[in-house]
Amino acid sequence: MESLKLNILGMARYRGREGQLSFILHRLAGLGTLLFLAVHILDTSTVYFFPSLYEHAIDIYRSTPFMLGEIALVFAVIYHGVNGARIALFDLFIPDRWNVETQRKSAYWSLGIAIVLWLPAAYMMGRSMLVHNFGL
Amino acid sequence: MATNTNQVQLNQAAAPEGFESWAWKWMRYSGLLLIPLAWGHVLIQDILVGVHAIDLDYVALRWASLGWRVYDFLLLAFAFAHGVNGLRQVLNDYIRSDTTRKRVTWLLFILWLVLSLIGAAAIVGGVRAP
Repeated sequence: MESLKLNILGMARYRGREGQLSFILHRLAGLGTLLFLAVHILDTSTVYFFPSLYEHAIDIYRSTPFMLGEIALVFAVIYHGVNGARIALFDLFIPDRWNVETQRKSAYWSLGIAIVLWLPAAYMMGRSMLVHNFGL
Repeated sequence: MATNTNQVQLNQAAAPEGFESWAWKWMRYSGLLLIPLAWGHVLIQDILVGVHAIDLDYVALRWASLGWRVYDFLLLAFAFAHGVNGLRQVLNDYIRSDTTRKRVTWLLFILWLVLSLIGAAAIVGGVRAP
């Protein structure tokens, strides 16, 4: 616990700028996606183990808070993928190009690409939520 | 030409091959593979079909084709192993004691194995009548 507190304080104090912020966002997006994935494996498994429970689980996902969560989750999956591709491409193919300047620029690029990909997805999911949950 | 003062001199000495080295590579290669797999899944189920159109019949119809079962199996295998190893790597940044690290690693391994088996059983077994 103490080391966790120290780390969170350190993260707030350490001025690592774009590289550090993309590192934190990458981890949060990954951990959030993993949390949902673990739940999602279990809810989907009910189709075999407890089929009568499946509709209940889906009903929860259809509620407004969960649909808002779904829109956030899709951003997490897109950002984690784009930023992860950035890390993998540099690490595996052009490791000698890792420097502060390329890291800074590519961090902005991955955030920008993720937002551009997410906006139409958020629009479609938001519209679906308004149509189904608010009778639009 | 101005020299880049930010240029970092990378130590290119080869890292010793071992579990952590494999885990490092696994995160990158599985991650690249997960981009089409996970994004395809999200695009179809969350964005195009939507949660309001998903029910037992929908899952049964989808899993009637072997291709989608293989797809879901690959997604389960790669995404969950990638995610649990990611959680392990994050936790290792905060755990200082070797004993705790070992215990957490075993706990995560069991969590990964149990959930993967449950998910795999559902994909193989398919949708049953309620």
